Amino acid sequence: MRSIISFELLKSLQDRGLLFWMLLLPILFTVLFISVFTSGTEGFAREQVILSIVPGYTVMFVFFIIITMIANFIKDRELGMTARIASTPLPAYKYLLGKWIPYMYIVFVQIIVLLLFGKLVYDIPLEQPLSLLIVSLLLTFTVTGIGLALSLLVKTNNMGIAMTQVIALGGAVLSGLWMPIDMMPSFIQTLSKFLPQYWAHQALQQGMEGSMQISDILLPASILFIYGFIAFTIAILRYPAFLKMARG
Amino acid sequence: MLNLNHVKKQYGRNVALNDISLNFSRGKCYGLVGPNGAGKTTLLKIISSIIQDFDGSLTFTDSPRAKSKELIGYIPQEICLEETVTAWDNLSFFGKIYGLKGQTLKLRINAVLKDIGLTDKAKQKISTYSGGMKRRLNIGCALLHTPDLIIMDEPTVGIDPQSRRYIFNMIEKLKEHGCTIIYASHYMEEIEQICDEAIFIDKGAIAENGRVDELLQRYAIPSIYLKGENCLPKENGDFTISPKKEGHLILTESPLLAMEHVINHCKTHAVQPEQLELSQARLEDVFFSLTGSQLRD
Repeated sequence: MRSIISFELLKSLQDRGLLFWMLLLPILFTVLFISVFTSGTEGFAREQVILSIVPGYTVMFVFFIIITMIANFIKDRELGMTARIASTPLPAYKYLLGKWIPYMYIVFVQIIVLLLFGKLVYDIPLEQPLSLLIVSLLLTFTVTGIGLALSLLVKTNNMGIAMTQVIALGGAVLSGLWMPIDMMPSFIQTLSKFLPQYWAHQALQQGMEGSMQISDILLPASILFIYGFIAFTIAILRYPAFLKMARG
Repeated sequence: MLNLNHVKKQYGRNVALNDISLNFSRGKCYGLVGPNGAGKTTLLKIISSIIQDFDGSLTFTDSPRAKSKELIGYIPQEICLEETVTAWDNLSFFGKIYGLKGQTLKLRINAVLKDIGLTDKAKQKISTYSGGMKRRLNIGCALLHTPDLIIMDEPTVGIDPQSRRYIFNMIEKLKEHGCTIIYASHYMEEIEQICDEAIFIDKGAIAENGRVDELLQRYAIPSIYLKGENCLPKENGDFTISPKKEGHLILTESPLLAMEHVINHCKTHAVQPEQLELSQARLEDVFFSLTGSQLRD
């Protein structure tokens, strides 16, 4: 399985598009929106905007890894790589894990880089690094789990891009990643409680501020884990059909 | 080396393969021939363990290696390579899947690169390769673990004659080393050139199989080609004559007698043929006599 993990990571490192989507674009958006929303504000108000935008855009942009995951699985299926690997001694479950784990690395590194960018440029607080680490890992698990499920479900790249846009952008708007959730209508505030983005954003903010108690982390952590677990279950259930389609 | 016993595969109501039984011996090259949709790729995928839900059985008879997947090198019709990385990276990936590592892996990669003629291009990204280079690397990826059985599904599609010749030479060397090769192709001249035996498959069943020379003798009708004014005898004898290009093709079971007949006619009538030659029997004739010439879409 290590062979496929290292090969997938090597492929990802060669992919400049991935670097753009995962790091450059989020940094660009963060800088742009912070400069827009903080113009004319100072002190505590400015800090609050930055404290919302940095984790908010981090959460929003990690979901874009789903597009890359879908494209990778569809390419392997259509190019015959999945079928070819089925002729080798590599077991099917190791192929699936080997394709998934590199994206765990990528998303986790993405979260760390974006939070460190916030620290270096805007001096955001990172008061509870352990809590932030736990939330980051769970967010990584959830996002890549959803990515894996969609990769095995969708039939075309376009379908995958459309679904990712709905999940990433729709979820971002409804979860208060773009603007504070308090400014949203009450039904959206209720709806946001059902979305993983909301809980990841809240937990990251609390961890940054240092206001998170052990009991506070349990709810967002559980919700993120449940989303990830459901997505993985769907992926595992769908995997035989994907393999059948790929093998012909 | 490998026995297929009553292999059957259905997709819903569609029977892709019906009761296929075959024996493959070590060190031989078998040509798998058939029209589109005949079941060739399905059969290759079953032998390669890609398709596992089928009826019947596969038995490897004389291999010391326990696991069948380690015995097989599968070369798909598609070029299954990662274009953004180098040839070395692609070979290394497939080698590691087969459990090769460290110095053994390096030695095998270098040996395969030499075999496929890409040693000096090993560190180039695949996206810079020509079609022929990609085809050769596609083959190389299946040879790292020194398989006993190599399955090639149309490995020469879209490549230049030089690369084709190179691949044929590789196949000859593999046979010399005792590898069994199953070679699927639509190019009959390739099957004639490199295969010891041919298996004709049509509508999911074996239409015919045997040694290439025997099949040619059995099915292909010998013929002579004649070109020249007034050279065609009026009394045709036991021949079938059909126009071809600017002359005539004379199909006969006794080509030498037919030639003699034509020569006598020419002598008698004092005419000189422009061209009179014995046409070789072709595997393509066998193919058409077994599968017909209607389009298969």
